[in-house]
Amino acid sequence: MKTLGADRVSVAFAGLRALSGVTLSVASGRIVGLIGPNGAGKTTLVNVLTGFQAPTEGAVTLDGVPLPKLGPHEVRRRGIARTFQGGRLFRDLPVIDNLEVTGVGLGQSRAAAIAEARAMLDWIGIAPLAERIAGTLPYTDERRVAIGRALMGRPDFVLLDEPAAGMSAPEAAELSALIRRIAGEMGCGVLLIEHNVGLVLQLCDHIVVLDSGSVIEQGPPGVIRASDKVRHAYMGTAAETDLPVPEIEG
Amino acid sequence: MLRRGSVVRRTIATPIILSALILALAIFTVWSGSRPFNQTVIDVLLRVMLVVGLYIFIGNSGVLSFGHIGFTCLGAYAAAWLTMPPMMKGMMLPGLPGWLIATKLPYWVAAPIAATFAAVFAWLFGLVLMRLSGIAASIATFAMLAMINKIYSNWSSVTGATSSVVGIPIVRDLWPYVIAAILCIVIAWAHAISRAGLKLRAARDEPVAAQASGIDIPRERLVAFVVSGWVTGLAGALFAHSLGVVTPDTFYLAMTFMALSMLVVGGMSSLSGAVLGVLVLSLLIQLLRGLERGVDMGGVALKIPNGLQEIALGVIMIAILMFRPSGMMGNRELVWPRARRRRAADAAPRSSTNTQPTGVHR
Ligand SMILES: Nc1ncnc2c1ncn2[C@@H]1O[C@H](COP(=O)(O)OP(=O)(O)OP(=O)(O)O)[C@@H](O)[C@H]1O
Ligand SMILES: [Mg+2]
Repeated sequence: MKTLGADRVSVAFAGLRALSGVTLSVASGRIVGLIGPNGAGKTTLVNVLTGFQAPTEGAVTLDGVPLPKLGPHEVRRRGIARTFQGGRLFRDLPVIDNLEVTGVGLGQSRAAAIAEARAMLDWIGIAPLAERIAGTLPYTDERRVAIGRALMGRPDFVLLDEPAAGMSAPEAAELSALIRRIAGEMGCGVLLIEHNVGLVLQLCDHIVVLDSGSVIEQGPPGVIRASDKVRHAYMGTAAETDLPVPEIEG
Repeated sequence: MLRRGSVVRRTIATPIILSALILALAIFTVWSGSRPFNQTVIDVLLRVMLVVGLYIFIGNSGVLSFGHIGFTCLGAYAAAWLTMPPMMKGMMLPGLPGWLIATKLPYWVAAPIAATFAAVFAWLFGLVLMRLSGIAASIATFAMLAMINKIYSNWSSVTGATSSVVGIPIVRDLWPYVIAAILCIVIAWAHAISRAGLKLRAARDEPVAAQASGIDIPRERLVAFVVSGWVTGLAGALFAHSLGVVTPDTFYLAMTFMALSMLVVGGMSSLSGAVLGVLVLSLLIQLLRGLERGVDMGGVALKIPNGLQEIALGVIMIAILMFRPSGMMGNRELVWPRARRRRAADAAPRSSTNTQPTGVHR
């Protein structure tokens, strides 16, 4: 049983406070949801947890012990994996090689990495895609390949940044089944960022709501559903943009 | 599901075809029996080594280096130090340590040592340079080239400064150059299919995802920098033996321009492109040289002005950059005709849509 945590993490970008004193934790086998309107700081928090962004204050903890300052590749080697909002596959490589690269990046031989990659594609249920060039995949498949890549080397934690963005309802349902298996069968701790609040409410044991860089509410789905603060935060943006629209970015 | 053979089996065609090309050229040369042509082909083989060396770093990392000819300079002088007659060294280069002055090695022993000397410096420079990215890295490599050139142009007791260092044993036999060129091709191929090569190309194409895949980008760049430093250093050593004379300016801007333009024309991210770029442009240079000297065509003397060679190279390079930025080979490799469709991935062509490495999304 492992725990990944953010301990009073703040991040300031030239005058803009993207995160202020955010604390949360994810344990093995659990699915924690992270929701909030556009620009709330969700991706910034993932960047902090994965070593892409140094926190201005606070620390990332693993089993309660603060991690030293590590580069993203070192964080990954310690078993903390992530996906990206824009997919960021190696577009010219076949799907299988996308996973192989990660295996090799984690120190496996090419043959071992290929073998694990095959098993992984099979486990996800996208084995027939193995030889397709990643850049030619439709959006939903791209997402599943990105998840497969993140799961190479059996990380202890995987942080999914809007994996369902742009998916239809049946596709999203399939994805949530996959996420359940990641936590259940693999025993991974999952941090799930999603604008599809329905999906989050249905999947997560615990949900954290960010707004303007601060945690405004957290608790089990029931608490979030009933919270006025949450409704207010979402209404605030809804007034301007209709709905929290899923966004594609790189 | 398609089954795949091992990486080696899938990619071995490329070094075999390229080596066969080199061998064919060599056999033709020997068969022709022409001395000047022999010398021309030696020059071509040296360029193959240089450009393949550049490809190892530039092709796989996507970072443009203007500095590799510095390693060629280091390799050439190291070969001179190791192979010149001790008496000449004592007179021309009295600043060398006594043991080095007394040393006289056969060229084929000295050349790999000289290449290793260059590789050690590639490692030292690389420790600093590989932390930089994009244009900053390229400019820093250029600064490195300028530093090496300035040191070698001024340290007269060790390098003879700008005056020619003579007395380097001349090697006119074609085969050592053939073997060395093929060795360089095999090294480049081995690096490309190694884990290091795979990781480096991933970092080139999608640096953020590469880091999130556990890849230490500066480290993988450093590996390629050192390997390519060794290869360009070896080319330098053999350059010295092909000429018998070295000066620092032999290994400076003109050579950098020539090598880079051949790489660009062939295709920067393709080993086959590196080799073919040299062969095609060398042929063209040969033709232009002929024209500069003047050819008699049925009573009409056809002669082009001197300097047109460089201008033509420049025009071709610009045209390629404009109309076919991925070069002649389009970042693909030569493979057996029937396998062409299946394999594009291991040489990891960089898509033309890929832009500069972007920053981390924050
Ligand atoms: N590198 C950066 N420099 C300056 N500001 C940044 C940087 N990265 C993010 N920001 C800002 O920090 C805030 C939080 O951004 P972040 O991407 O974390 O939001 P998010 O919750 O992931 O939003 P979305 O739902 O749109 O993905 C935004 O106002 C954003 O403009
Ligand atoms: Mg985001």
